[in-house]
Amino acid sequence: MANIPVEALSGNRAQPYPGAPDNWKRFFSFSTDHKVIGIQYIVTSFVFFLVGGLFAMIIRGELITPEANLVDRTLYNAMFTMHGSVMLFLWSFPVLVGLANYLVPLMIGARDMAFPRLNAAAFWMVPVVGILMMSSFFVPGGPSQSGWWAYPPVSLQNPTGTLINGQVLWLLAVAISGVSSIMGAVNFVSTIFKLRAPGMTFFKMPVFVWTVLAAQIIQLFGLPALTAGAVMLLLDITTGTSFFRPESGGNPVLYQHFFWFYSHPAVYVLALPVFGVFSEILPVYARKPLFGYRVVAVSSLIITGLSAIVWVHHMYASGTPGWMRMLFMFTTMSISVPTGIKIFAWTATIFGGKLRLDTPMLFALAGVVNFVFAGITGIMLGSVPVDIHVNNTYFVVGHFHYVVYGTIVFGIYAAIYHWFPKMTGRMYYEGLGKVHFWLTWIGTTLNFLPMHPVGLMGMPRRVASYDPEFAFWNVLASLGGFLLGLSTLPFILNMVSSWIQGEQASHNPWRAIGLEWLIASPPPVENFEQLPIVVSEPYGYGKDEPLVSNLAELSESPE
Amino acid sequence: MKMRLIVTLVGATILLTLASLWMGQQAYSWFPPEASAESKLIDDLFSFLVALGTFIFLGVTGTLAYSVLFYRAGRYDYSDGPPIEGNVTLEIVWTAIPIALVIWIAGYSYQVYEQMDVRGPMEMVHLHMPETMPAAYAQPLETGGLPSAEIAVQAKQWAWIFHYPGPGGQDVTSTELHLPVDHRIKLALTSDDVLHGFYVPAFRLKQDIIPNKTIDFEFTPTRIGTYRLRDSQYSGTYFAAMQADVVVESPVDYQAWLADASSRVPSPAYNRASFEYNRSAEQSVVRGWATVPPAPPPVVNYAPKQAPDSPPA
Amino acid sequence: MTSESAIANQVESKIVEEHNEEANSKFGFWVFLLSESVIFLSFFAGYIVYKTTSTDWLPAGVEGLDTHDPAINTVVLISSSFVIYVAERFLHDKKLWGFRFFLLATMLMGSYFLYGQAVEWQGLEFGLTSGLYGATFYLLTGFHGLHVMTGVLLQTIMFLRSFIPGNYDKSSFGIIATSLFWHFVDVIWIILYGLIYVWQ
Repeated sequence: MANIPVEALSGNRAQPYPGAPDNWKRFFSFSTDHKVIGIQYIVTSFVFFLVGGLFAMIIRGELITPEANLVDRTLYNAMFTMHGSVMLFLWSFPVLVGLANYLVPLMIGARDMAFPRLNAAAFWMVPVVGILMMSSFFVPGGPSQSGWWAYPPVSLQNPTGTLINGQVLWLLAVAISGVSSIMGAVNFVSTIFKLRAPGMTFFKMPVFVWTVLAAQIIQLFGLPALTAGAVMLLLDITTGTSFFRPESGGNPVLYQHFFWFYSHPAVYVLALPVFGVFSEILPVYARKPLFGYRVVAVSSLIITGLSAIVWVHHMYASGTPGWMRMLFMFTTMSISVPTGIKIFAWTATIFGGKLRLDTPMLFALAGVVNFVFAGITGIMLGSVPVDIHVNNTYFVVGHFHYVVYGTIVFGIYAAIYHWFPKMTGRMYYEGLGKVHFWLTWIGTTLNFLPMHPVGLMGMPRRVASYDPEFAFWNVLASLGGFLLGLSTLPFILNMVSSWIQGEQASHNPWRAIGLEWLIASPPPVENFEQLPIVVSEPYGYGKDEPLVSNLAELSESPE
Repeated sequence: MKMRLIVTLVGATILLTLASLWMGQQAYSWFPPEASAESKLIDDLFSFLVALGTFIFLGVTGTLAYSVLFYRAGRYDYSDGPPIEGNVTLEIVWTAIPIALVIWIAGYSYQVYEQMDVRGPMEMVHLHMPETMPAAYAQPLETGGLPSAEIAVQAKQWAWIFHYPGPGGQDVTSTELHLPVDHRIKLALTSDDVLHGFYVPAFRLKQDIIPNKTIDFEFTPTRIGTYRLRDSQYSGTYFAAMQADVVVESPVDYQAWLADASSRVPSPAYNRASFEYNRSAEQSVVRGWATVPPAPPPVVNYAPKQAPDSPPA
Repeated sequence: MTSESAIANQVESKIVEEHNEEANSKFGFWVFLLSESVIFLSFFAGYIVYKTTSTDWLPAGVEGLDTHDPAINTVVLISSSFVIYVAERFLHDKKLWGFRFFLLATMLMGSYFLYGQAVEWQGLEFGLTSGLYGATFYLLTGFHGLHVMTGVLLQTIMFLRSFIPGNYDKSSFGIIATSLFWHFVDVIWIILYGLIYVWQ
């Protein structure tokens, strides 16, 4: 690679402030450019993805043998608590907010988010959350060991008796993460409602924007409920109130309602944007319009609505009356209708297309397959009698890892590869991308598929030791877990080396249709020289119609 | 052409159906033995869901795989596919069929739940669901001359203690749950400290136990043998160690066991949490963080084990 | 400052020009308030569940709450919503002195409410840890009180900023938001009063 011209290194990346001397420094500044903030989110959260992955490998290391012999039980409990917390609050949420931050203004033809300073403030809370979470390892008593649900009374038991303990730090971190998410949600909703380019009606918006809108609405109505529960829990721990203390009349089950009223919809906060990613990527690499665009778009909002009335399915085996179990079984299963519509639409999109299996497409296709599987086990879990058996077993762990890893992480990878040329102005290395894909898919299957049979056999989740009959499946899962750890290496290598010295990317290397592909890679600070005037629906593949009426004016030097 | 398409579709559907039915049969083998009347109902329901799920999974992934294999763009083919934007009939079909399936699955599940009639937490909120169906497997407890009293299950960090009403009305305690086969069992679940979960995989039954509440729980064991009872709701440091054995035996054996147990002098039982906690306190092996200390080993009439290496009683 | 930030400001002002910032901010603030109201709704839901399911609701020796003084408090707080509206109208007509007078009146009424609440808290024979009754009472009134305090603080800032020449020439979003927030706090109090004092 010695013959790379020197200009290629300084190249087209002098953004966001034209003429800035060291442009990497902007990623460490209080920048208000949504594109810088987007990348800040993605990179920061990826660091925490690695931290959470390390915790996961300690968990899998302990579980490779039936006895609790690798780490102390308290350490194991801290590991699964922090694994879940880090992966949700410091990886999945922020990375998707990062993607949305980068893409939404570009996709709707805006120059930035509605409130750029609020946007930056929301991002800089993420490192604070991370530092708080990590610092809990160094307080007496160690980090929270009550699981990421923090169910009382276990979360109220404070064996060291100190005021500053892992659980309190955990609650503070979650609260700050909540404030950051609310700020982000207000910003996204305002941006999508108020900043759309001329001609960009709701039914001309890409599905990704629809799904981000649907997801952020969930944050707005869901997070406050979690905050309410968290405030009460914090008061119980610190001031001795009795909201959730059974011994003085409190009701621990009420906490579960508060918690799941947000935390189930939270899964859709993660999944919806990924559905958006699938809807963006599949048409590009299949060269066909998204099948049933309007229905797919609207089904996102239906999911938002339904997500608010299903939370009790996490509590079928909890202290819930029978009528409540039955009612929520019906609502839970009804979610499969709008999600089914999406799956069938994606299948119909690629059927009869002209497929090109680049890395983003591979991840998207595998993500859809994993999601179909997760959806089917989800219906099983929605059925009360089946759930009575598998609730709180590894079957559930397998199911939701197929969602959060098999679907969401796959979608995130697909998105990163797909928009990498746009974000950096460089192409990634296709070969390394494929290696990364196959390692990830094999690792995912090996890690999470065996959790289903072992759960059906009756292995509870969150155990540090188990009966020997479960050993076979656990060994497989552990090997898969280590493979997943390994799979991040080609990805990191690919990203770093391509960003430094990858081949220059044109403004639209995938021949994709969308406003973001009409301008330079990476886009200039203000995105569009002149705001685009949108004249057609997205995904016009094979139709040969213009997307905007003022193509020539969009950027200074259209390629 | 049209004929060929129909034949292909029908052929694929038949193949899919056969594969799904086969998977549904396989599903039974993924479970522990069926040791309760309820487990039979749940396994049938699960088998049905597996068959249905297999059909959908293979249908969707089969179509995806077909597309990946046969609709690849040529190396230098940069043209687009046909601009098909939707098909109203198809979209109505794939909305209506899932709705019908959901109603079917939910209705079937509802029926199974009613038949199980484990009843547990309904009493907690004093809201009774009208009983639309008789519990199919309930047997009057008087048959076989067994007392119709409840067995009290006491959960605490981290031990299970079972209280039986003895012949003379005294409280007979055990750390092993003994149950007569083919009788409707009534348990009263209580917890001393935090949430626990009563879970016997072989019975396919689970119920969270909530401190300061008594939850009634019913089921019918149908198979003689020894099974595992596990704590299913995370309860703190030694959560994983909180296990006990469930012995299902003939009514005669059960009566004999109860009589024998009630005559025994209470003695401390082996308790894994307590044992591990004391061992690590003594030996100053690598200790983790501070933990809630486990309750001392329960003192019970019947303990299957007194020490970690003692032979089964 | 560096040229970087100069360019950034320039770009930002361009964005502001193109999209009506005041309308966007107002929209965003509405979204925020809707979200904020869910916290209160959750607390209300919790209160209702506790009150209807709890076996011994009132702590020993506690008869209930006196409704007389809180009623006066309520009237003061609700009237202040009209007072701040008058202030807003004065600002709209560019009559700054009238605006300041009525804003100050709102602040005083809000402060009186907080004072009244503090007096009530002082006189109660139960505390935060007196069972669910004490916990929910102090949680609800305290969390609402925090919002009243925030409202008064916002009004103080708006009051002080009115002395900066030309502050409200370009946009009066600050006072619109403050006023909106104040109405929000009032509506919450009406529900809260109904739940805690009327429904005993």
